[in-house]
Amino acid sequence: MAHVVSPPNVGHADAAIAVARSLEDVEVGDRIVRHTLATRLMHWLVGTSFILSFLTGMPIWTPIFGWMAALFGGLQVCRWLHPFLGVLFSVGLLWMAASWWSQMVMSGRDMEWLSPAYFAKYLRFESTDPETGKYNGGQKALFWIALLGGVALFLSGLVLWFPGVFPQALREVSWILHDVAFIAFFLLIIGHVYLAIADPGTFESMVDGTVSKPWARLHHPRWYRDVTGEQRK
Amino acid sequence: MPIQGLEVLQSSASLRGQNTGLRVLAKVSKYIDTSTCIGCKACEVACQEWNDLPVVPTQQVGTYQTLPTLQADFWNLIRFNEQEFEGGLAWLMRKDQCMHCADPGCLAACPAPGAIVQYANGIVDVNAENCIGCGLCETGCPFDVPRFSAKTGKMSKCTLCVDRVDSGLEPACIKACPTGCLHFGTKEDMVELGHARVKQLQANGFANAMLYDPPGVGGTGVVTVLAHGDKPELYGLPKDPRVPLSVTFSKRILKPLGIFAIGATLVGLFTHYVRTGPKKPHDDNPPRTGG
Amino acid sequence: MTNGWVDIKNADVILAMGGNPAENHPCGFKWAIEAKKTRNAKLVVVDPRFTRTAAVADVYAQLRPGSDIAFLNGIIRYAIETKRFHEDYVKLFTNAPYIINEKFAFDDGLFSGWDDTSKSYDKSAWAYQPNPTTNSYDVDPTLQHPRCVFQLLKKHVDRYTPEMVERITGTPKETFLNVAKVVTSTGNAERVGTITYALGWTQHSVGVQMIRAAATLQLLLGNVGRPGGGVNALRGHSNIQGCTDMGGTFEILSGYLATPRSELPDLDTYLQKVTPTTLNSQAWASMNYWQNYPKLMVSLLKSIYGKAATKENDFGYSWLPKTDGNYSWMYLFDEMYRGSSNRAGGVEPGPEGLVTAGMNPASIGPNAPKMVAALSKLKWLVVVENYEIETATFWKAPAEYGGAPVAEIQTEVFQLPASGFAEKDGSFTNSARWVQWKWKAVDAPGQSKTDQEIIARIFLAVRDLYQKEGGALPEAVLNVAWNYTNPASPDLGEVLREINGKALEDLFEPPKDPKDLKEPKKLIKAAGQQLDSFGQLRADGSTSCGNWLYTGCYTEAGNNTQRRNNADPSGLGMFHQWTFSWPANRRVMYNRASADAAGKAWDPTRPGIQWNGEKWGGPDVPDIAPDSPPGKFGAFIMLPEGSGRLFAPVLADGPFAEHYESVEAAIQNPLHPKVTSNPASRRFSTKFDKYGTAAEYPIVCTTYRLTEMYHYWTKNTGRLNQLQPGFFIELPEQLAKENGIANGEQVRVISARGEVQGVAMVTKRLGPMVVDGKPLWHIGFPIHWGYTGEEGHLGPLANMLTPSAMDANTWTPEFKTFLVRLEKGRPLKST
Repeated sequence: MAHVVSPPNVGHADAAIAVARSLEDVEVGDRIVRHTLATRLMHWLVGTSFILSFLTGMPIWTPIFGWMAALFGGLQVCRWLHPFLGVLFSVGLLWMAASWWSQMVMSGRDMEWLSPAYFAKYLRFESTDPETGKYNGGQKALFWIALLGGVALFLSGLVLWFPGVFPQALREVSWILHDVAFIAFFLLIIGHVYLAIADPGTFESMVDGTVSKPWARLHHPRWYRDVTGEQRK
Repeated sequence: MPIQGLEVLQSSASLRGQNTGLRVLAKVSKYIDTSTCIGCKACEVACQEWNDLPVVPTQQVGTYQTLPTLQADFWNLIRFNEQEFEGGLAWLMRKDQCMHCADPGCLAACPAPGAIVQYANGIVDVNAENCIGCGLCETGCPFDVPRFSAKTGKMSKCTLCVDRVDSGLEPACIKACPTGCLHFGTKEDMVELGHARVKQLQANGFANAMLYDPPGVGGTGVVTVLAHGDKPELYGLPKDPRVPLSVTFSKRILKPLGIFAIGATLVGLFTHYVRTGPKKPHDDNPPRTGG
Repeated sequence: MTNGWVDIKNADVILAMGGNPAENHPCGFKWAIEAKKTRNAKLVVVDPRFTRTAAVADVYAQLRPGSDIAFLNGIIRYAIETKRFHEDYVKLFTNAPYIINEKFAFDDGLFSGWDDTSKSYDKSAWAYQPNPTTNSYDVDPTLQHPRCVFQLLKKHVDRYTPEMVERITGTPKETFLNVAKVVTSTGNAERVGTITYALGWTQHSVGVQMIRAAATLQLLLGNVGRPGGGVNALRGHSNIQGCTDMGGTFEILSGYLATPRSELPDLDTYLQKVTPTTLNSQAWASMNYWQNYPKLMVSLLKSIYGKAATKENDFGYSWLPKTDGNYSWMYLFDEMYRGSSNRAGGVEPGPEGLVTAGMNPASIGPNAPKMVAALSKLKWLVVVENYEIETATFWKAPAEYGGAPVAEIQTEVFQLPASGFAEKDGSFTNSARWVQWKWKAVDAPGQSKTDQEIIARIFLAVRDLYQKEGGALPEAVLNVAWNYTNPASPDLGEVLREINGKALEDLFEPPKDPKDLKEPKKLIKAAGQQLDSFGQLRADGSTSCGNWLYTGCYTEAGNNTQRRNNADPSGLGMFHQWTFSWPANRRVMYNRASADAAGKAWDPTRPGIQWNGEKWGGPDVPDIAPDSPPGKFGAFIMLPEGSGRLFAPVLADGPFAEHYESVEAAIQNPLHPKVTSNPASRRFSTKFDKYGTAAEYPIVCTTYRLTEMYHYWTKNTGRLNQLQPGFFIELPEQLAKENGIANGEQVRVISARGEVQGVAMVTKRLGPMVVDGKPLWHIGFPIHWGYTGEEGHLGPLANMLTPSAMDANTWTPEFKTFLVRLEKGRPLKST
């Protein structure tokens, strides 16, 4: 299936960007629309709420990052803000789940992507599976881990939010869970951000919603083929 | 408010601020002899009066005990327990309050710098100015003492009347005790007093009498004489209290590990970037896949 | 207290019975704890409930409410049987050797001398046997004579075997024997034991006899007069001792001088009647201190009437009110309710007005509905109080009190706001007879005034009316001396000076040879000077004294009740430089008995006083003429025979204590079923005076106080309401189970008078007992609540249920034992 959309006359400098507001997986000139506006807003809701949760949570986690509290007016504000940001983050994740759930179903091939051998090659830029679709195994895994981590952070965070309400054992479990989930989550997010930076052209997909064709061909060959209708060479 | 004149031994979530050791202060302790406590609750009222705590709403539900448990505005509670033993009935009464541990779990758990301090005399105090009301101290406490106040958004608990002690007075509860089952002094003296009483109780048929000063938290700033020392839980005391594993695990292992992992990841990725460079598409030379 | 609070620390055994000192006297109770800690003393608690005191006891025995005499007589029997009593002491200091006249008998529950018509005893049937040849009482120092007190006591208590004790009290035999063993371990020179009691004894129809049994036991064990011993009444209010000392009840004036009765028209007949005389020479000589009655009475009259009191007018004796009947609480309210009085044989109207200050009749009287009904018969009522109490609002008491509709009540109520104890200075006299000054801490709020100002203003206004308009017996009012700097609000320091007494003329020592006119006169006190001791009082009108027992409290040295020197050279906790203790700053009464026949302390580590060859020396102030050698006088100087009474031929209901069931009897008296309850105790007969039977009301109930609360006051105090937020009823676990009542649920208790509902406190501390072979339940609840107070903390008056029953000697109501039944509570009205 090939989607080719004629540039609409919307008075926009970049036709692809205009298309990307509402449609995705379509070719507009030399660009491919990867994410609609809604998807991008969803992503940035998750992203900013995470960053803000991170900035308000870190000084509570350890005084080494106490300086972050100053950004918000002190630790007291952080303690007040953090749970609300957490809720926002959870709402974002919920939205994300709703938008991406079906696209993120892992195939056997995706699982292979996650094998250490393949992953090592990936890191060395040595391999891109020509069958990589719109999302590779790593991205899908990130989605599921993020969801799982989000649930863990939300539930444990809820317990930690209200002192004196929950029983001691639950509070202790929540404390550890919040810590572990956060650390795991954060490490993945660092990787996620790194890849967005280290793979030029990626970041734009979440800014204007479009990617270049070469980018698509490189990172998501099957998706590229699906969108452009090109045959595998 | 931190007590200006008192030197701080430990402070929560603080990278620095350890005791300079310039002024050596004796560790202080309360002494509670449950075997001579009559549960009159004078200490409850004295505590509230001195600390300006409001009247808390209570209801008669079929017990002499004022409240089921400590509250943010009720720091000192006599726990009553009717217990049958082979020799007959016992009506156990114990004054429950902050134990002022030498290794305070609350302080270990507290993420807010200076919100919980341990003074050089051993008193563990919540400094409301710094407290963020997160409630982690509650989780850190093996005695279930600190309480969150919805009114102030802060944690609160017995201060061992640090303001009185710093002025050379005994805590208000001790002052009010009519029978002398409460004493206050240096930890050393209180332990000595306790051992003497325990010996007397043992000679009077309470073979299991003991002085409760649990080593799991490094000893407490409240030493308690228990006639039935083999079963401290009958008095509402944990048998072998320790700072919860979760707190130790989180603070001693997870935290450094997490920081290390984050740091390592950042360094790793930076190295990766420097070594591998950006993954750019080469339009002229579409990459081959599958090697 | 014969001894004092601090002195409890000198005891080896503390028997707490008929009282719950940890609950009601926590500050004084520290000395019991001190004895436990420092002497390893044994605290023995005998109580129907496992109380706060029991919680720290070494030995606890549960007994049925009201069965204390059986328990104590059982211990007395045990002591005699096992010879665990202090024989030397008994022979030396008690009336054990005295022989009783042949008329004395005890038969089937009644002592000899019983008159069934008047329901009273002729006490002459219990008299000592005089010996006409020696002109003294007959005694048998070997204690073998079958009619000597010791043998009669032995015979009297012989029925109280451990089995009988168990049958009556419900205390298992082994438990009883253990208590008996520990208590009688003090029946020797080496060890001392004390007995503390409170309203758990006095508030019974046999209350005085319970205390008698305790006194008998203590005399037998040789524990009276010795540091660490005594029979110690723990008073229930901070100044109730001061209240009784100052004539708090109708039958006494201050200093326990008898209130004149109408059949004693002049001072001479009065003094003849009240001053005890004995046979010329007694078995043991006695100082018979009451022979000084004329000095005490005349000095009191001088303090009341001042210059108006002269020898010629009997020092104003005729102006004193005279009693013509029983003016005790329950009689007063009975007459108030009935609107008529049968005093002195005639018929006259009941009281039409009532001034009540620092008292709450609607709450504190037994059978509350009767109290409320009685108050509504008054024309006027003055309530002097610092809270709006139940009495002031009796006319709007809730419906269950059965009061008349408000429109029908014609009582005019005046409420005068008074000030609390911390809002005025003055003195408290504690149970240890220490008169202690206290200082005002805060100003009284609003328009409230001190008690003395209220009394003074009323007095001055009445006197003013008398001066202007005249009236009946004007002298009684117009002649009252009122010489205070501020007559409208007398300074209490001035009042205390007046109570202490002073010389009105120069007082000289009596001349050694009255005929030698040249002998220089030695001045004791110049006119106007404060007296040092009651020994300086005179019967000729040259001294005035408001209360002879208090002489020495405010001397020329100043207000001694303000002394706070805690020096204690003896280490026995006597503290003679701390405030003033009546009488004569003595800390242990009858302390002559702390030393043996030769005047040496029974126990040298705990001396009271000792004879040094010339005079009696410390550590305490001797309770005997200081220069009278051992053997001259008996130790009990207030008794005409000078000996402690194992046999007391003066009480209304018998010379020995005998177990009687309470007026509402749970069982027939196993000792004498025909005389189940105290025969000398009176009942009332209005429609409110209902008495229940065991068939209808099978559960024994008792009432008590809580340490968190103070009487009916503190339900106005938020901090204390927090500690005890509301009325509750304590139930044994099994009884609650049988009735399907769970802890915290509502439960109703019903007596013949009314019912109360409250939260059930299901507890192990009240046990099932087997009494007279059958299971018997007992329950209880605290007083403290009522229909006024802080919102959310109101509750029923405990006295809704208590009976119009009373002690035969003191007319104290029987609050401690009555019969009830139990029902599940009604659902609470949702508000």
